Amino acid sequence: MDVDRLRQDAAAVLADGRARMVIGFRDRAGDRVPAFITDAEQAGELLYDEACRQNPAAYLKKAELKRFRPVAIVARPAVMRSLVLLAAEAQVADEDVLVLGVSDDDAYHGILDLAATAALLNEKYAEIPHDPDLVKRIEEISAMTPEERSGFWTEQFARCTRCYACRAACPMCYCTQCIVEKNVPQWISTAAAGHGNYAWNIIRAFHLAGRCTECGACEAACPLGIPLMLLNVVLARDVQEEFGVKVGYDAEAEPVIGSWSPDDGEDFIR
Amino acid sequence: MSPDPDQAQAVQQPGGNLYAPITMTIAESRDETYDVRTLRLQFLVEAERAAFFEKYRVGMFGLYGVPGAGESAFCIASPPTQDQYIECTFRKAGRVTTALCDREVGQAITFRGPYGNFFPIEEWKGKNIVFIAGGIALPPIRAVIWNILDRRDEFGRLTIVYGARTVADLVYKHELQQWQKRSDVKLILTVDPGGETDDWKGEIGFVPMVLEKAAPSAENTVAVVCGPPIMIKFTLLPLKQLNFPDSRAYTTLENRMKCGVGKCGRCNVGSLYVCKDGPVFTIEQLKNLPQGDL
Amino acid sequence: MKLIDANKLTALAAALARAGYRVVAPIEDSGVVRLKEWAEGAAIRTDAVPVNSAKDFLFPPSEIIGRWDLDGDDFTAKEVEPDAPKTVLLAVRPCDAAALALLDTVFNWDYKDDFYNARRQAVTVVPMVCTAADEQCFCTSVGGAPDATAGADAMLRPADGGTRFILEPMTDKGNALLDAAGSALAEGEAAADPPVEIARRFDVEAVTEWLSRNFESDLWPALSLACLGCGACAYACPTCHCFDIQDEATRRESVRLKNWDSCGFGLFTLHAGGHNPRPDQTARWRNRVMHKFSYIPERFKLLGCTGCGRCARVCGAGMSMSEVCRLIADETKKAPTHES
Repeated sequence: MDVDRLRQDAAAVLADGRARMVIGFRDRAGDRVPAFITDAEQAGELLYDEACRQNPAAYLKKAELKRFRPVAIVARPAVMRSLVLLAAEAQVADEDVLVLGVSDDDAYHGILDLAATAALLNEKYAEIPHDPDLVKRIEEISAMTPEERSGFWTEQFARCTRCYACRAACPMCYCTQCIVEKNVPQWISTAAAGHGNYAWNIIRAFHLAGRCTECGACEAACPLGIPLMLLNVVLARDVQEEFGVKVGYDAEAEPVIGSWSPDDGEDFIR
Repeated sequence: MSPDPDQAQAVQQPGGNLYAPITMTIAESRDETYDVRTLRLQFLVEAERAAFFEKYRVGMFGLYGVPGAGESAFCIASPPTQDQYIECTFRKAGRVTTALCDREVGQAITFRGPYGNFFPIEEWKGKNIVFIAGGIALPPIRAVIWNILDRRDEFGRLTIVYGARTVADLVYKHELQQWQKRSDVKLILTVDPGGETDDWKGEIGFVPMVLEKAAPSAENTVAVVCGPPIMIKFTLLPLKQLNFPDSRAYTTLENRMKCGVGKCGRCNVGSLYVCKDGPVFTIEQLKNLPQGDL
Repeated sequence: MKLIDANKLTALAAALARAGYRVVAPIEDSGVVRLKEWAEGAAIRTDAVPVNSAKDFLFPPSEIIGRWDLDGDDFTAKEVEPDAPKTVLLAVRPCDAAALALLDTVFNWDYKDDFYNARRQAVTVVPMVCTAADEQCFCTSVGGAPDATAGADAMLRPADGGTRFILEPMTDKGNALLDAAGSALAEGEAAADPPVEIARRFDVEAVTEWLSRNFESDLWPALSLACLGCGACAYACPTCHCFDIQDEATRRESVRLKNWDSCGFGLFTLHAGGHNPRPDQTARWRNRVMHKFSYIPERFKLLGCTGCGRCARVCGAGMSMSEVCRLIADETKKAPTHES
């Protein structure tokens, strides 16, 4: 992918004031970490490749960054979907965000506003690609008996330390008071053990049903390697099958779980 | 100056579990306002009462709890001179305080303490004392006031300036009446403009302005001020104008606390822990704390 | 000296397990290396710093500190015993062991936390000297070293080009461990491999000095920009010890829990009245750095950081304590007469 064009565009939007900050990625000793550029001269730090797994749209929930709007975000398709969805959920206004469109298929898509971003998604990235290993793993787990599946997930969640890195990394987790932070009543145990870990991870997946754009940032952020995308992708597929909705393609769309239509199917009610 | 907290209470809880509370029963319960409750608590074991009063000095706090709901930190609102019970006063604000309010007279709660440092009242003997408090911040001051009144002739003139948003928000209303009637205490009550009732006979105005108007002399006088951060901030101005030195003015800080013993890392303001170096601080100490951490 | 072949470390673990120790060692688990209870068949990985630290076994993520039987509105307190099995922390790192000085201090400062102390007594600490390091290691910048022995009961020293380990006892517990290992160890001579050289990345005294004057510095927003306020760094850190106390109950029983917490979380300092002294991530990150490099040194004459680099390795947002310290130290070199 043409990183030079990315850097030129980043410098350009900062220089002419179309953006006050560019949020992208830089190298740190071989790792890829978020970069926050406010000066055109810093644009040379930016890069993009497959190792850039964080979702920079997560930074839109930070109060300290609000004064840097409009902000330009180095966005691969999954991140573009996050931005379109954030607009649909009224978390970001069209004039607040620009996209510097990158991809893992070597295409660089230039400077886009949200409308152009949604158009690009529908035209060029209409299907969300799934890693074949992930698909295979989902099939294996779906073929398990309920007891086996419960045992599998109990083992996975036993490692969870409730650091909430998954929540922090996710652009759609922007609640000012998360469900785990409510204690009247205490919906979910805060202890990093047993049923609390199970409840936290399942409920977070549920709260993202119809809202997850499958960027994988949560799984990348988890220090313990818990396979969160297995859950998220299964739920995303269910939402698409039950409601015919693809997440993050329409900035005017009503929230899937938060809205109801008389045509909604009922065959899952048994 | 605040005394060295390490000298005050290097004690281990009996039985070895630092976090194990004692059980106390509610002897009396009083609604101060529609959402503020006072509980008078009785010790169940004489040895626990004796151990408590050996350590307790006015200004210290405790953790009051209900098993299943949790614990909450409040000051101990009664003085060590009243050594058959302790009292606490709190606003019903969340899970634990609601559970405490659901408890009735005769029922039990848990208690851990006393923790923290205390007002150095021994250094105030022979001095005059001015108390300045706002709203729900009267409880820690009320403990000191009663401590002083229980040893009245050891201290000089007493002045109390206390205000709340409205008449209904004043706490310890029946005690305010008692203090009003005493000839050895000067009590000035105030409510915020618009908070007065038709028959209100006290001042109308914010506490700092009423203090300025009362203009107590700073000579040989100690000031004790408790209130929300904004009230303290604005009270420092008249205190300064009246020439109260920062080292002879005291306050208490209230931070979110969990362990109460300097381990959970939650209550620090800069390098000072409210549970260990406080809750009592001089204004001089307060001004040296990073203001952005308050 | 007592020796073991590098590829026979599991035999040592097995011998110790037979002798009644719970063996904790760095083991691969779902693609990450972490310290966990060793079981027969698990390979011990000495080639990567585990994502978690030895603190997990002295101060666990969740533990019960109180129990009550409930009967309607009545309650009866029950005894709570600390859960402290005899444990060996095998092939941890010197930066883990160095952290114990601070944990010992905090949990015994004035009031003594017997839950921590029971576990501490029951644990034998066996760090492995580091003959390799990565970009995130910075123990030598905070008074440590890849072969430091502070906090160790015995040292595992790679020897003879990494083909063997020397197991050197440092304390009575270490001697007891060697006895328990018995014939898993061979008697002989070996040449200890030199520890890895780690260049100092910053002047920590300059950092502490700058922090004492710069609570209000303009640098804090820039230093904290990437932080999204999760607890990954605090939980991975061997010296972080903040905790929450929470009750959980059924109709018949309630427990009081001591759970890990982090000053990075938004609600950490929230008052019941609604005021939050640290309302944004900038204030919370500043507190984290201040606590480790200013407040703890001021109070306890120890640093709150042992340079293990775990925070930087686990942080999904690219925050790094050593990078922050380096930036602060650079600041002190810039303008010696500038008052921030």
